[in-house]
Parts: sequence; C-alpha cells; structure tokens
Amino acid sequence: MHSVILTELGIIITSNDDNGEDKIIKSFPFSDATGQYLAVKNKEGAPNEMIRYLKEMQVGFLTNDESLLEILKKKDVDSQIMEESQIEQIQSVKPQWLIDGGFAVDQQDALSKLREFAVSLSSTKVTQVSESPDQHIIQAIKSLDEIDKIANAQSSRLREWYGLHFPELENLIDSINGYAQIVIAGKRENLTKQTFEDAGFPESKIQMLILIQEKSKGGDISEENLLIVQELAKQILEMHNVRKNLEEHLKKQMKAIAPNLAVILGDAVGARLLAKAGSLKKLAAMPASTIQVLGAEKALFRALKTGSQPPKHGLLFQHAMVHSAPRWQRGKIARAIAAKAAIAARVDIYGAGLNETLLEKLNVRIDEISKKYSEPVYKEDNRDKVEQQKQRMHRYNTDDDYYGGGGDNRRKHQKDRHTGYDDGPKKAKRYRDDAYSRGNYNDDDDDDDDDELQSRWPQQQRRRQQQQRRRPMFNAVCDQCGADCELPFRPNQNKPVYCDNCFNNDGKNSRRYKDDYYNDDDDARDRPRERGKKIRNNTTAAKNNRKKGKMRQRFGRKKSNSKRR
Amino acid sequence: MEEKRVTVNDDKSFSWIRSEGEKRIATQNLIPGNQVYKEKLVKQKGVEYRIWDPFRSKLAAAIMNGLVDFPFVPKSSVLYLGASTGTTVSHVSDIVGQSGIIFAVEHASRVARDLLDRVTKYRSNITPIIQDARRPKEYFGVYGKVDIIYVDIAQPDQTEITIANCQRYLKSKGFLFLVIKTRSIDVTKPPKEIVRLETNKLKNDFDILQIIDLYPYDKDHAMAISKLKK
Repeated sequence: MHSVILTELGIIITSNDDNGEDKIIKSFPFSDATGQYLAVKNKEGAPNEMIRYLKEMQVGFLTNDESLLEILKKKDVDSQIMEESQIEQIQSVKPQWLIDGGFAVDQQDALSKLREFAVSLSSTKVTQVSESPDQHIIQAIKSLDEIDKIANAQSSRLREWYGLHFPELENLIDSINGYAQIVIAGKRENLTKQTFEDAGFPESKIQMLILIQEKSKGGDISEENLLIVQELAKQILEMHNVRKNLEEHLKKQMKAIAPNLAVILGDAVGARLLAKAGSLKKLAAMPASTIQVLGAEKALFRALKTGSQPPKHGLLFQHAMVHSAPRWQRGKIARAIAAKAAIAARVDIYGAGLNETLLEKLNVRIDEISKKYSEPVYKEDNRDKVEQQKQRMHRYNTDDDYYGGGGDNRRKHQKDRHTGYDDGPKKAKRYRDDAYSRGNYNDDDDDDDDDELQSRWPQQQRRRQQQQRRRPMFNAVCDQCGADCELPFRPNQNKPVYCDNCFNNDGKNSRRYKDDYYNDDDDARDRPRERGKKIRNNTTAAKNNRKKGKMRQRFGRKKSNSKRR
Repeated sequence: MEEKRVTVNDDKSFSWIRSEGEKRIATQNLIPGNQVYKEKLVKQKGVEYRIWDPFRSKLAAAIMNGLVDFPFVPKSSVLYLGASTGTTVSHVSDIVGQSGIIFAVEHASRVARDLLDRVTKYRSNITPIIQDARRPKEYFGVYGKVDIIYVDIAQPDQTEITIANCQRYLKSKGFLFLVIKTRSIDVTKPPKEIVRLETNKLKNDFDILQIIDLYPYDKDHAMAISKLKK
C-alpha cells in the first residue's frame, strides 16, 4: 500500500515493500512552507507536480490528513484516510520523517525548522485577522463612541468655564457647535451681530443674545484665560469634525462590508453589534437569540441564575424601532430584528450583496406586531385578576384610563423588565448622556432629539407620566364626621376612614401615637437578658438588616463571606 | 541602600525570593534583561530572577495555595492550551530551559499577537500554535508526546476539550494541570458543584492528585492536578 504523508515542510510518498516496511519513494518539499501548507489545509490545492506523480502511479493511497484527502479525491486520485493509530505513530516520530524526507539535515535542524514554521504560520494567521475589514469597522465605532464621550465632557467644561464670563449663554444655546464659535469670537463685549450670524443662529435668537449681552452678570475674563478657553473651544470644533468624518466613514464601510446588517440595524447599531461579537464571522455564527440580548449579559446571567425575567434586548435597544415602540412591544420587535440581523450577518459574510426582501419582511412583521399588540397584554393566568381589578377600579369611580391594568401587574413590569441594560440606571445615565452629546451635534433638529430622548428612557418617561397624572383618589364617607372625602387608597371595610381634617386633628389616628408603636418596655435592651428569651431589636434599621440576611441566604453569599468555600 | 534579598528555597524549579519585604515566587530568567509583562527583575549572586505574580498567573497562584506536585523541570515538554499573552508561558519557559519545549496553543488572534511579539520572539523553546484547541488534529509544529498538559481555556466544554487533547498528546503517566473556570462553565450552578462534576469527568482516565482553590488570586477558579492512569 502506498501512503501520502503531509508534514509541515513537505509531502512524503511511501510504499510498503515486501517486508511490510515503509520506504520513502519520493518527497516533495514545500518551497513556501506556510503558503503551501495553508493551501492544503484550506483545501485550496496541492502542488501539481505531486498530483501528477500520484496519478501516474495508478495505485491507491492512504493519507494522514483529511484536507489532503479531500484534495486528492477531487483530483480523482484513489485515496483513503489512515487509521488513527498510524497517524499518531507518524506524529510521534515526525522529526525523523522530516530527516528521512530530506527536509532537514538532523534532529536539531528538524526541530528548529518545525518551530520556524510554526512561528511564521502563526504570524500569517495573526496578520490575516488584522487585515480583515470588519476589524476596522470595530475600531471605527469604538472610537466614535469614545469621541462622543470625550466631546461631551469637554463641552460641559467649556460651558462651565466660559460661563464665568458669560453665564447667560448656557441656557440660551443648546448646540455646542454654536457655543464654541461664540467663545472663539472672544470677549462678551466684542460679540457683534455678525458673529452670531456666522455661527448660524436664527434672527429671533440673535436679538435676544444682543439684549442679554449688554446686561450680563458674568465677570471679566483676562486675555490669558480667554486664550486658553478658546484653545479648548477650537479643539471641540475639531472633534466635531472628526466625528462627522468618522460617521461618514463608518457608513461607507458598513455599506461595503456588511450592507444587509447596515440596512436592518443602521450603521451605528450594526457596528456596535459587530464590536460586541468580535468579528463579522463570529456574529454570523451566533443564534438570533444571542444577538437579541448581546450587550445585556449581566441581566441575562442574573436571570439564568435567579430565575427572574430575562432581558428583552441588549444593544438592540438602541435600534430606533425598538426604543420608539411602546414598552410591551419592544421585546417582540427586538426578537424580530435579531432574527433578521442574524440572517443579514450570514448573507454579508458570504458577500452576497444587498438583499432587499430582508428589510421588507422585517417591516411587515413589525407592522403586524404593532397592530396585534396595540394594547399591553398580560399573561394568561393573570387575565381574570386584571379584569376584576379593572371593575373594582370603576366601582370606586376613578379615572377611566387609570393605568389600564391591575396594580400588581404594572409593578411587575416596572420592577423587572426595564431596559435590560447591564448596569441599570447607572448605564442608563451614561447612554442618556451620550444621547445628549448626540443632540449637541445635531444642530438642526433639536426638537426631534428631545422626543428621542424621552422615548429612549422608558423609566424616566414613565416616571414623568406618573407625575403628570393625578394620583387616583377614592370617594368615601368619613367615619368620624360623616363628610364626603377623597382618599388616596381604596377604603377597606375593616378599618375606619377619616377625612383630611379628622385624620390630621385626631391624634390617635396619626401613626406616631398608635399604641403598638411605642414599646412600653423601652429599656428592655439595656437589662441583662432573661435566660432563653431573645429580645428582638425592632427598630426599622434592624428589621431591614434581618431582611437583608434573608435575601443573602436566598440569592447567594455576601461579599465578606466569599472565602467560605 | 540595597535591600537584602535571600533565596529561601531553591530545590524546585522555581525560587522563593525575598523582595520588598515579602516572600515571592520567582523563576530564573532564561533571557536575562528581558521583561514579558513588566514584572520585576531581581538580581542575586549574578543570577537574574523574574518575580512571578500569582495574581497574573494561575500556576503561581496554585503554588501559593499549596501545590504539592510540581512536575515542571528542565527538559520537560509541555502542551499549553490557552496561552493568552504568555504570562504563565514565559515562566514555564524559564523553568523548562533551552532543552525543554512548550507548545503554546492560542486561538484568539489579538492576544496571540502579544504572545508572538513579547514571548516567542525571544524564547526559542516556545512553539506558538494559533489554532482552536477543539481541533487537536490540526496543530502544526507539534511532534511526539508531552510530559505535561496545562489547560487554561474559558469554554463551557473545557474538560471535554482537555481530554481529547490528552488522548492525543499526553505521555503515559503524564501530568495534567486543568484550570477549572466555573464561571465559564455554568453561571447557574455553585462553583463547588462544578468543580466536583468536572473532576468526575476526569476520573475515568486520570488519578486526581490535588484540587486547589485559587482564591484570593482568582475568584471561582480551581486548579485540578491529575496524572494519566496508563
């Protein structure tokens, strides 16, 4: 039987002689070891010379490498894979094979050549990855996000600093671009109508600025200080430019490299997903469910650990369709988008160009969601409860549109299923700041940005709405004086209700004087304890501490105990 | 004034060195003057040592936490899965010396770049292999079988990957150092439980010699040291 053996430095052909021993009959050293080895491994092809030689022999071959086997089969060379033990045998005496094959002079040479090969192949692989264009997209989006952050911080510093000199400007000018241009124009008293016009403000604003400029409360600024502030302003304008270029660049790159992803997700969100995944290839290998929560890992793992509600969206929350949708639709929309994004990434990695049906289908699905779920839906088993609750509400003559659902359900939503962002409010704040900085850059559509901001921050938005809404009041009759009154809670037959006057005047009802509140035995804690009797510390703080302990028992150990294992 | 430093123990392949008032582990620098990760270099009786930081290297952490068997000696051959930027690899390279060999497998190209630039460039006893540890068949530049396999990979199926590699490349009675990363395996189970489950998987083919919790150097990590049965 003849064998074809692939080694790092070349290919060796052997044949079994009559004694059953392998004899090398021919060897083909690689001229460019890494290139040719990789070509074989990637199933791109083997040296033609060798293929010709094998074909001429017209016998069957065994080979030690699966990729090589595939190439040989493609070239119609009769071949099979070796037995595992045989492959291992070759592997274990590889340096000897290299010497026998004429690829190396002696053991030392073989080893150093092998290492040299490994180093150069590894370098090639690293270079290949660094060359892939999606890595550049990832760097671009990361630097874009960083510039946003830096520019944001610098802008507020500029406002603060120049604000010493001209504090009224702060509230008048939203766009940092215009602000910086005014700073560059110099001192307050040197500002002319022309400067304001050049900075692109509308006529009405210019009038106001000129008026205010004359009676500003700001202090004088020295020439030296002004110069350095202007330096800062110039830098901010410069950054503004860089950002604009980066954005355009990103747009172009996404269109060229991941057109479908760009269409489904938008340039920035698409790029951020790429960055999170690591590369286009990795993103394409991800299931849609992973893409849906990419960026909400902390919430996801918490959900897996504690069995609480999993996040509905991670990075995808930044997608316009998700964050502009009503709260109860967002999860569904995020899922639809994630599904299409997964397909888009897979189309993109094969470079199949733009596929328009993808976006069409997504839009159809989103329309469907918004129609089907125009009202919030509650879980099946809760529905009866919700109905009952609603009716009870009506009975107590409240606003008809009050919350639209049972109190319990509403709270559940608030508590568990918020944005799904990793760090909760903290991160939310950061994103909000980013949103501000974006607002700063978009000079022309300030109003739009404000809307976007509102819808982007569901918790805030909800809080705002709640503040605007009148607190639901319940009509009742005071048990003491018999007058009609309104209560901030639903009256219960078990307890008497009082109108505002009676409640405030009658000391007994006020919580402070309730009998059970004051502990008669107030200094029990100071006396030596009776045997077997444990005195509970019943202050609120102590109760909370006990509660914490229970929570720790349920949700894992506290920090200082982590050495326990 | 030059601080007084004393080598406390030198019968093993690494040394205990007193530096800045603390007993620290160190290895004799194979390439004097060469720093890999900005670690401290200490010269003593004309010999240069590199301080081995247990917070950076899990092998050092295991030593700090009472490792018993230390099979890494000069001339050892080691297959190292998950070489990363080569922190631990460089110390192992110090230990096995010029006549030893380390096959350093790493899949992620970004850290592999650092491995190539900072470590393998200077240390000729390391063969870098940029390849997925899931496919031991595809390793290049490897020959023969090794004395020790050291595994530090963050994969949910890390133990299965390890076993596949051992079957192919570990000598009989060879040592396996497996870093069990409980948080990479399953976040929902308690770490102790995972260590038990993972070591159970090894019990078929290996004798478990020691299991070391790497706290406080690494949280939720354990090192399992085991020896191939046949």
